[in-house]
Amino acid sequence: MAARRKNANARDASAKKPARRPSKSSTSEKANREFVSEAEEILERMSEDLADLADQRQTRNEVDPDLVNRIFRSAHSLKGLAGMFGLDGMGELAHHLEDILDGLRLGRIPIGSPAVDLLDDAVALLGVLMGDLDDADAQEKHLVEVSGLIGRIDAAVATPIPQSGEFDGLSLDPALLRALTEYEEHRLRESIRRGRELSLVDSTFEIIAFEEGLSEISSAIREIGEVISTLPSPGAAPESQIRFSLLVATDLPAGRLAERLDLSGVSVREVLPGTATEAVAVANVASAGGPTAPVAAPIGDVRNSQDAKSIDPSDPISAVEAPVAEPSEIESLRSISDTVRVDIRKLDELMTLVGELVIARNAIAGIASRLALEPDTAKIGTELTKTHRLLDRKLKELQAGVLDVRMVPLRQIFEKLSRVVRRLRRDHDKDIVLDFKGSDTELDKLIVEQLVDPLMHVVRNAFDHAIESAEEREAAGKAPGGSILVQAFQRGNHVVIEVVDDGRGIDPDRVRAIAETQGIVSPDDILTDKEKLDLIFAPGLSTRGEVSETSGRGVGMDVVRSNLAALGGVVDVSSVLGRGTTVTLTLPITLAIIQALIVSVGGERFAIPLNAVLETLLCEPKEIQRSEGREILNLRGEALDLRRLSREFGLKGGRQDGKQYVVVLGMGDQRVGLLVDELHGQQDTVIKPIKGPIRHIPGIAGATELGDQGVVLVIDVSFVIGDAARRKEAA
Amino acid sequence: MSTASRSTETRDWEAIARGAALSGTEGEGVESIRELLSFRLDDSPYAIPVERVREIVRLREVTHVPKVPDWVLGVVALRGEVVQVVDLRMRLGLPARERSRRSRIIVLHGDDDRITGVLVDAVDQVLRVSEEAFRAVSSAADLAAVTELCLQDGDFVSVVDLDRVLELRAD
Repeated sequence: MAARRKNANARDASAKKPARRPSKSSTSEKANREFVSEAEEILERMSEDLADLADQRQTRNEVDPDLVNRIFRSAHSLKGLAGMFGLDGMGELAHHLEDILDGLRLGRIPIGSPAVDLLDDAVALLGVLMGDLDDADAQEKHLVEVSGLIGRIDAAVATPIPQSGEFDGLSLDPALLRALTEYEEHRLRESIRRGRELSLVDSTFEIIAFEEGLSEISSAIREIGEVISTLPSPGAAPESQIRFSLLVATDLPAGRLAERLDLSGVSVREVLPGTATEAVAVANVASAGGPTAPVAAPIGDVRNSQDAKSIDPSDPISAVEAPVAEPSEIESLRSISDTVRVDIRKLDELMTLVGELVIARNAIAGIASRLALEPDTAKIGTELTKTHRLLDRKLKELQAGVLDVRMVPLRQIFEKLSRVVRRLRRDHDKDIVLDFKGSDTELDKLIVEQLVDPLMHVVRNAFDHAIESAEEREAAGKAPGGSILVQAFQRGNHVVIEVVDDGRGIDPDRVRAIAETQGIVSPDDILTDKEKLDLIFAPGLSTRGEVSETSGRGVGMDVVRSNLAALGGVVDVSSVLGRGTTVTLTLPITLAIIQALIVSVGGERFAIPLNAVLETLLCEPKEIQRSEGREILNLRGEALDLRRLSREFGLKGGRQDGKQYVVVLGMGDQRVGLLVDELHGQQDTVIKPIKGPIRHIPGIAGATELGDQGVVLVIDVSFVIGDAARRKEAA
Repeated sequence: MSTASRSTETRDWEAIARGAALSGTEGEGVESIRELLSFRLDDSPYAIPVERVREIVRLREVTHVPKVPDWVLGVVALRGEVVQVVDLRMRLGLPARERSRRSRIIVLHGDDDRITGVLVDAVDQVLRVSEEAFRAVSSAADLAAVTELCLQDGDFVSVVDLDRVLELRAD
């Protein structure tokens, strides 16, 4: 009985499996990753801003309105993001966060403990939701907390503080007052309550350059106060010019403010509380009619009514106000409207389609040349060849277009790195400057995603281990502060990323000594300095803490190497003792469609990515020389290490005439010659993953379909190139 | 390789298997019935749960893959995907045998992109078996991949535990 029950359970488990479709689970994971990285960034920024907010409230009992606005925008972005990924709970919570923040912004809710606590709780809960993204049960549970918190927020938002304090007696144009938004009114009220000096700054700009002029004057004012409102001013100005009135609250009287600003074309007027002027009379009328009542406009003299008209918010001219008042918000809105977010899976599908078209195109080429050879069909064959060429050209454009869409600048990762290093610097109190070059260099989105971890690892190594303490550095006659430079550039079909530090460097002999104690090399092995250095990539050696302490590098470098190999890239290290270390990552620009050289060994075909092939040559058996069991070839005076594909893959290779083709492979600074039996020309190929029980097949990067020739395996070039450590292992 | 035309004794197992896989086994209230796809290795009957089966295809040209265990026959292309094919005879330690016109690849669903093809000598039929007909295998030393048998018309059919078959050893 017991056995049967067990079987029944086993069956249940296996019955569930097909329901969970493999492709879906892995692709939604990918989408989630994209969401997580972006949402994490936003949450991180929010919690930093919230900490600042709490600080300001405690020390100054006042909060920078820009800070509240920034948090509001973060909540807004998060809401949009959650909506895009269908995460309702998170979206709902972010939406209610907006409610509190809006209330704070507009002064409807006091900046006190309930509001700030609610903000803290909401951001913390958002973090928890993010953490359990993959756990449906946990999400379900959290929903209860979400709705509880939302209830508390609703209660807080529902009881706004009464808005008090009208603008009676301010020497301000009523038309201007009417044009203020609710937020600006709140800021004005707040400034009056705090007893700050109000001024009206009038400035005139050339229309073509007014944006720079305005932002210059606004930022000058922000240093000492707050710009409550920026409005285009109706006054007489020459055709080519535009005038703006900035309502400003500072701690300086108008006269001092004018001195301080000292810009041409700017006049500063004091706004007096309660001065009886013509304007005040009108202002009274205006406020009696309510801030938005259009009835107020006809009252007052002719000039004033014109004023009112030109300041009407629906008027296109005064609409200019919007981008000036909240430039960053408008910018983000704009970027939403003219860019399209595309799921990378869709691009993958397009890419696969293009790849299949390429295979079909190859087949057409074959048919065309067969037709051209037959006298009867020669004419049709020639026409088909012409059409084929056109198809070929358009396909290439299509291919390039799709590839281009997948490209993203490295800046994205660089920003992440710089955030991490900022935090490290704060936590470890190490004076290290991180610089970037070439952040516009573009790479395939998928590669960029996979690159974050290894690159982070290399930079962290440099920060933690390579750069000495300030005392050590000064003793060695270096500047006390260290520097790390991350620079990227394109070289042919590859992107090279170098991480250069000016730390202590790596002592090759010490690396070797440690490798010996761990049995990675034997004491009899003769290694060049380069080969000793490369030992840091050997698995086993690198995970040991003491190595990193003494050598300055090497924690998890084997992981970095295997991560890069998975992307078809290589990692290389060079170091000058006492001067610093350079770690070089070389990556293909894209993985999607590649040109491949088709070769065969022992009758089996393989594809080699052409971007790694430097040249091919045919060599006689006697040209192959031996040294320490290695085979080498004299290639224009340089010793080229040879590797036999037949031996690597356990195949019966060799040609009857004894000659061998040599495919010279290069990646990073490494070169190797691969011996094969035959070359079969180039083909465009789409590399596909090999599905099945064996996850990683050594030496194989994937497989590709070649029209009529069936499936051909694609060689993992980084595996073939290998390094000193692996060669030792194999021997 | 075996591209011979469809022989008379071969029925359209693709349709049978797919239909059974689609109809599903749940929700009919008859919890005690299990559906198995039976096939042959040599002349002995074996079976696997039908819901693990994605499709059944004829043997096609298999590309040899170096540096993998010998029970991985190679890879085949299946509608744009490249999938490993496991030689089930080899995996179960049975002697090698010529492939025939009846040889088929049973393509299994797989989690995490581990879709796998399994080469068998011939595919028989879909069995509907009640729980009472199952017998646990008592000593499973060298029959580790077969964990239970089911009695069908007086004969025992070996039910293959696919997770064990496809599980990789640490080496």
